Amino acid sequence: MLFRHECKKIVCSAAFIVYCVISLLFFFTNYWTDCSDEVSCSGQGLIAVEDHDRIMDGATNSLMGDFASNRYECYPYGFYKAVHLKEKKRVKIRSYLEEITGVSGEEFDKLLKKSDPYFEGFSTKELYEFHDIPVKEGFSYDRFIEIMADVDDIVGGGSIYNPEGLMYSFSLVPMAEEDIKAEQDDFYKEDKITRGLARLFCDYAGICLAILPVFTAAWLTAADKKRRMQELVYSRSISSCRLVFTRYAALLFTMAIPVLAMMILSLIQALVVYKGHSMDMLAFFTLPTIWLLPNLMLTTAVGVLVTEIFSSPVAILSQLAIWFYSVMAGSLELSGGLDRFTLVVRHNTPFGRDVFLAEQGNFIFSRVFWTVISLVLMLLAVAVYSAKRGGRFNGIRLFGKDSLFRRKA
Amino acid sequence: MDNNIVIKKLNKFYGRKQALFDIDLTIEQGMFGLLGRNGAGKTTLMKTIAALHQKKSGEVTVCGVPVGEAAKIRAMIGYLPQDFSMYPNMRTDEALDYLGALSGIPSKERRKRVEEMLKRVNLCEHRNKKVKQLSGGMKRRLGIAQALLHDPKVLIVDEPTAGLDPEERIRFRNLLCETAEERIVILSTHIVGDVESTCEKIAIMDEGRILRCGTVRELLENARGHVYTANIEKQYMAQIKKEYIVTGMVAQAEYTTVTIVSDAEPDLPNAVLIEPDLEGAYMYCLRSNGCSVKGGEE
Amino acid sequence: MASGCLARIVYSDARHNFLPHYLAAAGVLLISPVIFGLAELTAQMSAQPLELMPLLMGIILFTPILAPEQNECILETVRAKKMSRHIVTGMRLLCSFVLLAVLIFALGGYMRYNECDVTVKMCAGALAGAFAVGALGFFCAAVTDNVIVGYMVSLMYVVMNLFLRKELGRFFLMSMTYGIKGCKPVLAVSGAVLIAAAMIYRRLAKNER
Repeated sequence: MLFRHECKKIVCSAAFIVYCVISLLFFFTNYWTDCSDEVSCSGQGLIAVEDHDRIMDGATNSLMGDFASNRYECYPYGFYKAVHLKEKKRVKIRSYLEEITGVSGEEFDKLLKKSDPYFEGFSTKELYEFHDIPVKEGFSYDRFIEIMADVDDIVGGGSIYNPEGLMYSFSLVPMAEEDIKAEQDDFYKEDKITRGLARLFCDYAGICLAILPVFTAAWLTAADKKRRMQELVYSRSISSCRLVFTRYAALLFTMAIPVLAMMILSLIQALVVYKGHSMDMLAFFTLPTIWLLPNLMLTTAVGVLVTEIFSSPVAILSQLAIWFYSVMAGSLELSGGLDRFTLVVRHNTPFGRDVFLAEQGNFIFSRVFWTVISLVLMLLAVAVYSAKRGGRFNGIRLFGKDSLFRRKA
Repeated sequence: MDNNIVIKKLNKFYGRKQALFDIDLTIEQGMFGLLGRNGAGKTTLMKTIAALHQKKSGEVTVCGVPVGEAAKIRAMIGYLPQDFSMYPNMRTDEALDYLGALSGIPSKERRKRVEEMLKRVNLCEHRNKKVKQLSGGMKRRLGIAQALLHDPKVLIVDEPTAGLDPEERIRFRNLLCETAEERIVILSTHIVGDVESTCEKIAIMDEGRILRCGTVRELLENARGHVYTANIEKQYMAQIKKEYIVTGMVAQAEYTTVTIVSDAEPDLPNAVLIEPDLEGAYMYCLRSNGCSVKGGEE
Repeated sequence: MASGCLARIVYSDARHNFLPHYLAAAGVLLISPVIFGLAELTAQMSAQPLELMPLLMGIILFTPILAPEQNECILETVRAKKMSRHIVTGMRLLCSFVLLAVLIFALGGYMRYNECDVTVKMCAGALAGAFAVGALGFFCAAVTDNVIVGYMVSLMYVVMNLFLRKELGRFFLMSMTYGIKGCKPVLAVSGAVLIAAAMIYRRLAKNER
């Protein structure tokens, strides 16, 4: 059977063996060590609360400092980036600050002078910090959110003023005793331990599965060319659709094996650590399948399609860019803040059941969305393979004699 | 049902470069040789027949099926590419089984066919060897086995004997002739000896055109009266090579016996007209069609 | 004569085999200002882009060094030539190293120009990290004869560094970002050891001389 042959080919390849080793290494150094003892909620530290006054106060003081320094803190790709605004945009920010504080004109200038400048490193640039700028009494939170959304737009997005992240930037408070107890209770009673642990497992495994499979997929796709077997395979009677999808299925099946092994190991670990507690025995298999399969499918599909069109290094670079954006852009929120188009879903805690359930709609949407996208990419891969097979297309070379968008004879 | 390959006014381009010019050809059951030098367009023509290349214009039908219907064409064609290679870590029988699966042969029948093919190409005792452990000749035999696996109506083999030792080459030719009893076999080569000993009908190609198509006998007939032999003193050899197409040279102690292809009787004192061999006939065909022929010239 | 041959080999390699990689590494340098803010940063904040981006450059420049001969036929042909494979590989490594150093110091210089707290020592530290991870990719590609495995292991090592700190000890690649001392010399030595190990392996297993 072709499927069996393809699986055997993959399993015997160096790329697959390294995939298994790295996945397991990642699993043991992250999830396994985190969960080797009973997890405790007390270590979770701060919690984001939707305290409107706290958010408005914190954000206003921060924006005031940024305005005075003309240096706005942004994290468009998860890394710090300072944005400096031109006069026209500064005027707009000033008008917003005047609206929020209820102070304008010379009074506002006086407010700005309340802070003494300070310097960072070698820089000669004057920087300012504010802590006690008050928000106008009775200022509407809805209007405040509108302003913050516009400020985020003005500075180019990804700033700490993004309405979705305001809570995480300006309203973090230490967890109260009762909150800790409630989280702990949820973990044992509602989540039956394994559901919470499965979420943490998926958080780690999701990071891996959004990048690692691309290597194996790129290797398998390029294997025919490397072995100079393309024409031999092209001339067989099998349909392009069947061949491409059989190979895709074989990639998914083989690469799911180490993930399954990790699920089983996690369950065994949980059974040992939480001996005597009642557990949901299936949670380690159901949730990770829904959570991780789209990651595996998409990464593999990108690997197959881009290798078919360009080459394997381009496929690796493409997926690296997707991974980098997906993981790093969301790095501010290790749990929560789930978008409908998030590929790498983060939930770096076995607790936080409520946060997770609150975003269940987005979660399901994102999983279905990426599954559909993966299948669409694979259909494209079939079309490309078919065109190459019939001599209508020979792939695109980025460099060299017959490079970019020129067909190679 | 039509059992021939019919090609009418076939043109093929690589970008702006034309690779095939108005090819007209009919190939019937049996061995058919495509002879031509490297770059003559043999591989392009065969790949177009095998639906691996797109044609620009013209008509190509294989046993009545137009090449546009790639799926049907692939089911009836067996193809052995010029540089046949397989996944090196697969076992010989496993490689055949894999390619059989790609040809859509059901598993029960596939096992039977793999067995038959291994026997037919004498690879039974090497069935457990990995592909990378096979010798050049064995690999070619594996190549022909994989091409015949699904019992195709048409077998296309591209320069299959290049790099084989004489014994393996004879063995391979015989194998091809046996298979040609029940199907069309197209053999492309630049080695005249391969065609001479196996094919009844041949076509000579050059620069994307068919120069001549017919039986070996017709080709030889065409060259009759144009092939000579002469004994030449060594100091005149350079001049002879410049003036004539030299297809053979046997060095003796004081002179060299040369075989010459020439339109008119050569101006040599001891030149003798001889019966042309296929090599001579091929060279004459190239020359008479205005191709630049450098036979013997250094 | 020998130096002429060597110069020709280096030119051909750079022109035909490695130009895309050199351009890609330079491309990483060029996209740095898009991803990071590279102005008015403190020493610790400067360390983040200065450590992370060169890692990608190191992988791109060192991992594919043996790729042109991944095809057995090409390997057989070039191995039969008089010029030692080690010299050719050594020249490629040297070119990659020099280019890596130039790119890192260019990045550091640019940041310094933009009033970031960057020192020569920090650039050297970044070079050590990038060299080590590049050498890891080179080693894996040399041993498995598979460039993809080289990219895979080196990239995943970088990914692991984003999530693990303590576990990697002295082999942690982003030590300057977190103010950990003593990692860079270990990384530089590890890089050199990996390259030597790869060359020895090729000599013993592939009979490359």
